[in-house]
Amino acid sequence: MGGMHGFGPVAVPGGELPYHERWEPRIFALHLLTGFEGLGAGPGGRQTREEMDPAGYLAASYYERWTWSAEQRLLRKGTIAPGEVEAMMARLAAGEAAPEHEDPAMSRRVVERLQRRAPMDPPPADARFAAGDRVRVRRMRPQGHTRCPRYVRGATGTVERVHGADRLPDLTTYGEPARPEPVYSVAFASPDLWGPSDEPPFTVLLDLWDSYLEPT
Amino acid sequence: MSAGHHHERPASEAELRARALEALLVERGLVSTDAIDAVVSYYEQDVGPQNGARAVARAWLDEAYRGRLLERPGDALAELGFGGMEGHNMTVVANTPAVHNVIVCTLCSCYPWPVLGLPPSWYKSEAYRARVVAEPRAVLREFGLELAADVDVRVWDSSAEVRYLVLPMRPPGTGELAEEQLAARVTRDCMIGTAVP
Repeated sequence: MGGMHGFGPVAVPGGELPYHERWEPRIFALHLLTGFEGLGAGPGGRQTREEMDPAGYLAASYYERWTWSAEQRLLRKGTIAPGEVEAMMARLAAGEAAPEHEDPAMSRRVVERLQRRAPMDPPPADARFAAGDRVRVRRMRPQGHTRCPRYVRGATGTVERVHGADRLPDLTTYGEPARPEPVYSVAFASPDLWGPSDEPPFTVLLDLWDSYLEPT
Repeated sequence: MSAGHHHERPASEAELRARALEALLVERGLVSTDAIDAVVSYYEQDVGPQNGARAVARAWLDEAYRGRLLERPGDALAELGFGGMEGHNMTVVANTPAVHNVIVCTLCSCYPWPVLGLPPSWYKSEAYRARVVAEPRAVLREFGLELAADVDVRVWDSSAEVRYLVLPMRPPGTGELAEEQLAARVTRDCMIGTAVP
């Protein structure tokens, strides 16, 4: 949504807190556990959230989106069946105490997983572009998940560095084969993204996969 | 806090739905209450901006550490015991008198969890995601930060798996302070780039 108008101020009361209600960090944690414990299926959480209809996405709060994606992933896997969430909501609304279940091994497992390091592959020696090269972002209209934001498509920038090699999420999200390819840090001068502005020129830098770029 | 606590007001639809998902999985033994508590507590107690602040203070005091933090940030942060999910590929960007860095994720909410914890609500807001890449100075002004016109504002949009941390400039008049006192000056927003210490 880079560049969109109409969302109002950024600094608003309460904005400094990561969340405001106890269910919010719990659904965050549940979402992680759904992934770690293999309870969900299909595209990951963020990719699933992008499947929300745009009006619903904007109307939902941040953690309502996480609830939505957790539920979709659990339904896809068959871990829960349609209607079961509503039935449980009715039980809880009627005053039934929520069940509890202890599993210290799972607690240890999840914290170990949060701490695990898994860096990207180093950059390939034969990367197509090098620092200082001018590149243009391809114009495209992908149907599913992409990490190429709309506001840079068609724009020309300068490669700052090669970060490493990674598989294209546009493919891996859907289980399609993808070879590791260079990921570049690309710097764009603000006039090349936005045209004339009231602000002095500034720089916007994005991390872009090789497949998103073409030589100028 | 127990998931089954009593509410003074009726739970919202959003809250009920989230609690129902937890209850369904817990009832079947697929997810444990204590594992959920462990994740929540991990990001409330163990991991947060105090980690990033320690790395910043160390970099201010130790030129060699600063070099490592900028050159091999993953290893330099691991020296202090920091690393893990959403911090696998760290890049640390240093502010200078000529350059001010700001981080954002316009696509969603990517953020360096191991050094900053979970992001503030404003970082995840549509307003921040939409505006900071298009009018950074107007956004920084909302946070009370006014930069000289000749400073190059560099906005880092975390569009891939790299996560960013801003290394702010050490404030003047802090020559006598020890690492812990320096770290106390480094707020989360300083390491996002919407404030300076």
